[in-house]
This record gives sequence, structure tokens and C-alpha cells, in this order.
Amino acid sequence: MLQPNNYSVVLLIQLSLLTFDLFVNSFSELLRTSPVIQLVLFIFQDISLLFNLFIFLLMLFNTYVFQVGLMALLLERFRVLILLSVLYLLFSVCLHSWMMNLRWMRADHFVWTDGLLALYVFQRTAAVLYYYYYKRTAEYLGDPRLYKDSLWLREAFARTRQL
Amino acid sequence: MPIAKPKKKKAKKEVIEVDSPEEKSAEEGLELEGLSSRRESESREPLTPEAPPSPPQKKKKKKKAQALELEGDQAKVANGEGAEQQGEGEEITRRTKRRKKPRAVEMHFHNELTVEEEELSNDHAPIQQRSLFSAPTGPAFPMGKVFVERNSEHTLATSRLRVDLQLDEFMEVRTMWSTRDVAMRVHSGFRVIGLFSHGFLAGYAVWNIIVVYMLAGEQLTTLPNLLQQYHPLAYPAQSLLYLLITISTISAFDRVNLAKASMALRGLLTMDPAALASVLYFAALILTLSQQMTSDRIHLYPTANETLWPPGSEQQLLRPWVVVNLVVALLVGLAWMFISTRPDMDYTEEFLMAMEVEDYRHDEKLDIPT
Repeated sequence: MLQPNNYSVVLLIQLSLLTFDLFVNSFSELLRTSPVIQLVLFIFQDISLLFNLFIFLLMLFNTYVFQVGLMALLLERFRVLILLSVLYLLFSVCLHSWMMNLRWMRADHFVWTDGLLALYVFQRTAAVLYYYYYKRTAEYLGDPRLYKDSLWLREAFARTRQL
Repeated sequence: MPIAKPKKKKAKKEVIEVDSPEEKSAEEGLELEGLSSRRESESREPLTPEAPPSPPQKKKKKKKAQALELEGDQAKVANGEGAEQQGEGEEITRRTKRRKKPRAVEMHFHNELTVEEEELSNDHAPIQQRSLFSAPTGPAFPMGKVFVERNSEHTLATSRLRVDLQLDEFMEVRTMWSTRDVAMRVHSGFRVIGLFSHGFLAGYAVWNIIVVYMLAGEQLTTLPNLLQQYHPLAYPAQSLLYLLITISTISAFDRVNLAKASMALRGLLTMDPAALASVLYFAALILTLSQQMTSDRIHLYPTANETLWPPGSEQQLLRPWVVVNLVVALLVGLAWMFISTRPDMDYTEEFLMAMEVEDYRHDEKLDIPT
């Protein structure tokens, strides 16, 4: 059974990483005078994305539903967040790589192209959706029913066994 | 832990046993009661003229008093006090009774223990280990000894202590948080931040467009002045705009519970304010992001004047940028107004509150899950 104290700590870490990601997305362009700073920020942002994904998966593995063996149920329930996380990570890595490649030698130059702008729009839009779904999922993982035996879980288990 | 029968039932049973001696358990109860009453009578002084009524009724009253003791110690105290106040002439007998009472109570206590032991089941079958998904199949009757305190000689301090302990336990239960409470608290906290962000964004967007129009002049005739004055603010303004729009959009999505697509769509079709605000904020987000290139161009006006801003190109580059900023200001202002009409509406909070109440039903036609 997940304890409220442990859950609070995990939630705090998750939201802190989200906040860091949001601030890097918002203000990293203001720190582009030195490419190294922007590179370090982008690396930390991508690592925090991965950390967030790992923490979410660990929370999933900690549920009673997973321990019983109904992983498919959990994956189906949280598939949007998993897809968004992967997509957002992909967009972020591509954008950061492209931008650093363009700005490494010419830090304060105009490097924008239509393709770069399109990728930038996709990455920032995916970020908003990712923040929303991650926050909602983190709150949803506080449902006590996920951590104990209940009628609906037995029904789901019986249904799975029949299949 | 074996569960004993509640004392109320026992008290009733004893009363019934007195009334219907034909039953086996009643006979045993009678015997035991007779034994206890005999012991009590031995311990007591000879009855005074003002003696209490006949023994069976007295026993019934005693049993009833004992049943009441289970409900509250205050009742015990009241009964004790009431018993003590019966007649002044019984002082001597009362004193002797008081002296004898502990013994009688102890013996009665012992008898009650034995009674309780007999009440317990003799079937000492081991408790079956239930499988993970089976209902408990243990026996419904108690399996072991249960000791119940029946000492009626509780002092006021002891009873008060018990009441305090009960209150402490109640307070502990009240202050114990669950994970759902933590999630609700976080959600409420973010809603406060979102509410602030809605208003701040609307005000900031209006301020921004007013500054742009004042610097651009009438009919956008002094655009070089706008570039000269506004270029240090362009990128920070763009960054702050993105941050505020992101927070406001997430807050609006929370209010409409976007993850439940059917609910969100229904809200949009019924012109729900939160749904409309979500659409407006999302549109404002896309428009703001699309102006990133122009904002960077404005930011680089002093350093790359000739290459980025050829003469005569200001109108062509800046007019769409100004119009988009104006539209963004209108969109976020309208969205803020819609949110303000129903600031307490939050479907995600209702969803979170219902986490433990409703059944967690797995529907085939799943809305977009979390």
C-alpha cells in the first residue's frame, strides 16, 4: 500500500522536474549567448524527461494491479501519457540537436528556417500536452484502489484469464 | 484475532436465559447466575428493611447496567452514583457493599470470563489461508478467549482518560491523510496558480499590445521606432508569454477534464465556458509559437540591421506580427472572461474526488485514458 508520505515525495520530484522542463522551454532562448550554457540546459532537460518517464514507470510497477499481472490494463489506461512522453522526448532531442548544430559556431545569429520553426512549434505544443497528461496521471496514481484488492480488479483478472 | 460477541447481545441473552430456562445455554447461564448471586449474597450483610427489590429483578437491573457500561463509562458512573444515592439508611450496608463489591465484582468478573469462554467455539479448526482473490471463509464465531473488562468501579479520572483517548484516536483518524488527499491538495494548489496565471496573462497581453501600438504609431507608420524601442523586450516578452499561456492552457484543460474526450466535446458543443477557454488558450499558444521567428528577428535588429531588415521590409514583416499579437491578446482576454464566469468549475477535481467512491469500471468504449 502506497503511503501518503512516500507519495508526496514522489509527486514533489515529478512536479519539480516538470517545472524545470517548463522553465527551460520558456527561457533557454534568452541564455543562448554562450552555446555551452544552452547545451548543458538541453542535456539536463532531456535527462529530466527520462527521469520523469522512469519515475512514472516505477509508480506503475508499484501498483497492486501490476503485481497481480494486469500490466496490459495499466498500459491501456496510461497509453496516452506513454506515447506523449516518447513523442515529446523525440521532438526535444531532435530540436535540441538541430538548434545546437546551427548555433554552436554562431551563437547570436539568426538561424531560423521554416523547418526549424515547424519542429519548434510541434515540440512546444507537445510539451503543453505532456505537462497536462503527466500532471493528471501523477495525481491519478494516488488512487488507493490501485494499491489494494477490490472487486473491479478481480473482475478484470477473471476477464483476462478467460481470454 | 478472534472476534467475541458484543456484550449487548450477551446481556440480552442473559435476560432471555432468565426468562426461558428451557434452553441449554439458559440452564448453564442460570446455574452460573445462581452461583454468582449466591456468592454475592454471601458477601453481603443481611438485608435491611430498605433492601433493594427481589434478586431476579435486581440481577436484571445489574445486567442492564452492565450492558449500558459498554456504551459509555459516564453511564456507569451515573448508575454508580444513582445506586449510591439510594437511601441514607443504607450507609452501613453501602460501606460494606463497597468493601465487598470488589470481591463480588472480581468473582462475578471471573464468572463472566468463564461464561465468555463457554460462549467461544470449541471448534479449533485452523484459520484457512485464503487465496488472493477469494473471500474470507473463516468461521463467524470467535475462536479464542476474549477478556472483557466489567469492573464497575471505574473512577472518574479513568473514565475521563478513556474519553480523552477516544478523542485522540478520533483526531488521529481525522488528521490521517490518504494518497487521494495529497493528490487533491496538489490539484487545488495548481488551480490557484492557474487562476493567477489567467488574470496575469490577460493583463500582460493587453499591456503588451498597447505598448506595441503606441510605439508603432498611428496606422503603423513609425515601425522603425517600434524596432528601436522594443527590440530588448521582444525575446523576454515572447518567453514570458509562452510560460503564462502554457500554465493557463494546462489549467483550462484541467477544468474541462480534457482526458475525458467525450466530456470535453460535450462541453464544447454546449458552449461550456471552460471548454471554450481551453480552445481559445490552445489557439493563442499556436499563434504565439508561430511568431518565434519574427521575435528573434526583432531581437537581432541592432546587430544584423541590413541583412535581417532590408529597407522597406518593416511593414511586410511587422504588420502580421502586430496583428497576431493583437489576436493573442483578444483570445486570452476572452478566455479569462469565460473562466471568470465560472471559476469554481473543475471537472478533474470531481473526477479525483470520485476515485474511491465509484467503481473502477473498465469500459470497452474507453475515453482517452490518463
